[in-house]
Amino acid sequence: MAKDIISVKDLRVWFQVRRGFIESILSEEQKYVKAVDGVTFTIKEREIFCLVGESGCGKTTTGKAILRLVEPTGGEVAYFGPGKEDMMKEMVEVALAKDEIDEDKAERIMERGGINIRALSKKRMKSMRQKLQIIFQDPYESLNPKQSIYDIVAEPLVVNSIGANEAEREERVTKALDDAGLRPPKNFMWRYPHEVSGGQRQRVGVAGALVLDPDFLVADEPVSMLDVSIRSEILKLMLDLRESKGLSFLFITHDLGVAYVFSDRVAVMYLGKIVEMGPTEKVIKNPQHPYTKALISVIPTPDPKDREEKIILVGERPDPSDVPPGCRFHPRCPSVMDICRSEEPKSVFVSPGHSVSCHLLIMQGAGKS
Amino acid sequence: MALLEVEGLRTYFKTQEGTLKAVDGVDFILEKGHAMGLAGESGCGKTTAALSIMKLLPANGYIAGGKINFMGQDMARVTGEKLRAIRWRDISIVFQGAMNALNPVKRVGEQIAEPILLHEDVDKEVANKRVKELFELVGLNPTRVREYPHEFSGGMRQRVMIAMALACKPRLVIADEPTTALDVMIQAQILDLMKTLQRELELAMIIISHDLSVLAETCDTLCIMYAGKIVERADSVEVFRNPQHPYTQGLIAAFPNVKGERVMPGAIAGNPPNLIEPQPGCRFAKRCSFTKDICLNQEPPLVEVLPNHYAACHLVEPR
Repeated sequence: MAKDIISVKDLRVWFQVRRGFIESILSEEQKYVKAVDGVTFTIKEREIFCLVGESGCGKTTTGKAILRLVEPTGGEVAYFGPGKEDMMKEMVEVALAKDEIDEDKAERIMERGGINIRALSKKRMKSMRQKLQIIFQDPYESLNPKQSIYDIVAEPLVVNSIGANEAEREERVTKALDDAGLRPPKNFMWRYPHEVSGGQRQRVGVAGALVLDPDFLVADEPVSMLDVSIRSEILKLMLDLRESKGLSFLFITHDLGVAYVFSDRVAVMYLGKIVEMGPTEKVIKNPQHPYTKALISVIPTPDPKDREEKIILVGERPDPSDVPPGCRFHPRCPSVMDICRSEEPKSVFVSPGHSVSCHLLIMQGAGKS
Repeated sequence: MALLEVEGLRTYFKTQEGTLKAVDGVDFILEKGHAMGLAGESGCGKTTAALSIMKLLPANGYIAGGKINFMGQDMARVTGEKLRAIRWRDISIVFQGAMNALNPVKRVGEQIAEPILLHEDVDKEVANKRVKELFELVGLNPTRVREYPHEFSGGMRQRVMIAMALACKPRLVIADEPTTALDVMIQAQILDLMKTLQRELELAMIIISHDLSVLAETCDTLCIMYAGKIVERADSVEVFRNPQHPYTQGLIAAFPNVKGERVMPGAIAGNPPNLIEPQPGCRFAKRCSFTKDICLNQEPPLVEVLPNHYAACHLVEPR
């Protein structure tokens, strides 16, 4: 059994809705946009875990909350990856020296394992982020056009004061570019983003994430802005990196096709919650939740012989600041029942590792045995 | 007679580096009530080819040659009032990124009524009535005609754009990446709507997309473009079942198929060529895995290789 690297438990990210002056005087209830509202999953070492869902379902926010690029409102994010022991030991020692905790508690903390990312101080978070990196969606927007590729890739080193001198930095940048498939690195280092193609830009983004030698990468729609013809090159690059460096990925995408061919496990999100999660093959080939079924049925298929009845849902996703009661999906669900309108369905297992949150399946006896 | 006949269309752009040959010899025929798809990577000239038909090119773009025969008129030469009379009344367009193509400070109803009032001798009342009908046609609540674009969601705005394109009952609608920015569920809704409208109104459509499977579901015929040229043209099912050109084969293989086996999609290595000084021979030669000597020297013509199936490749025998 592979070890966990990241565990997310009941993660919540709520954004306050700004109130107008009058509203605040009338002291109306503070409203929240519940972008992520209780998400639980674990990612194992060397695993590619995929979050899929429509825009606004909270998949990107989940990824950012794990890295604390947005502060979570509630829940837990724990890191179990390499370097955990040293970091924890050091933290416990400091706390002991300051008399903040006693020996007993120190032991308990060490035993529990996992660094609680949410509790880290700003300084520690900065060093933690060397292990947790992100690749952004749009290689056309996320690179500074005025910086050379060398400067872009070297910036994380400068920020984290890594590398004693410029020569050492250059060596690391060269290696990162090489790892990202920009070969030979010397040819790319001193060019600017506009001088390279879209696929190469995304490789620069990958190099920028790799330069710190991370263990876990959040890849936020890394191929959605690229032409189809070069998408799989970037996907293959990430697979290679997993092989050579033992990286783990949280892969965020709206494209179920990409999720299908690329990930080990997939979680389908709807309005801030995971509705179905399991091994990719099971979820895509044998979806159980009505939402997943609909999503898969509407993927365009070129060959008419493969075409199945499309389940086109009416309407669009509801507003996350006004989440429907009961099952969040009930206003659009083709098989809605009375219970769905009032009670939120629990997550139950339909087969090993494959869990679904739907009353229909609970009624059919899923998760009983 | 065909509704639209494009013959040897060449559209060039003047740039600082030289003349960019965005579309370099494109032919196709579109019958009344048919839907045609234009597919290809970004920069292959698919949008430019379609915009040339309406003559909506940017200031540095011009039609350098060829004929665009639309209902007996050569659009390549029509100008001034005559052109304005055709635009939107006979040919309309659903722009790419419809979310941002609407005027944010004007009510959507007024925006749709504008071309009706401009092109037809009707009063406001008739136009408003038509707007309401159009709203119903595209599946929007007609009571919302007085709302502003920001009050609609992305998918609904796309419906507004479609209603606007249909305002003057055109013969031909060009849809430029109509679903690209939309979620897959909304995409399915919009494609469904477009198919229904096309059937019911006997519309001819040109749909531009980089997503081959979207086109396969909505179009009768499919043109695959590469570097300003059509490299393959056939019935859309035929293109998928029996692709002849190596580029088409590569493109199809690059799409992950959830209905099929779980295999990593293929990639087409390399980048599209520079269109300012295109290399001699086949433009795809540098990225093709079957390149022979002839490919580097001689440009392959688009010829019929199977019944009603055209491809431009030295490797496939003409019929």
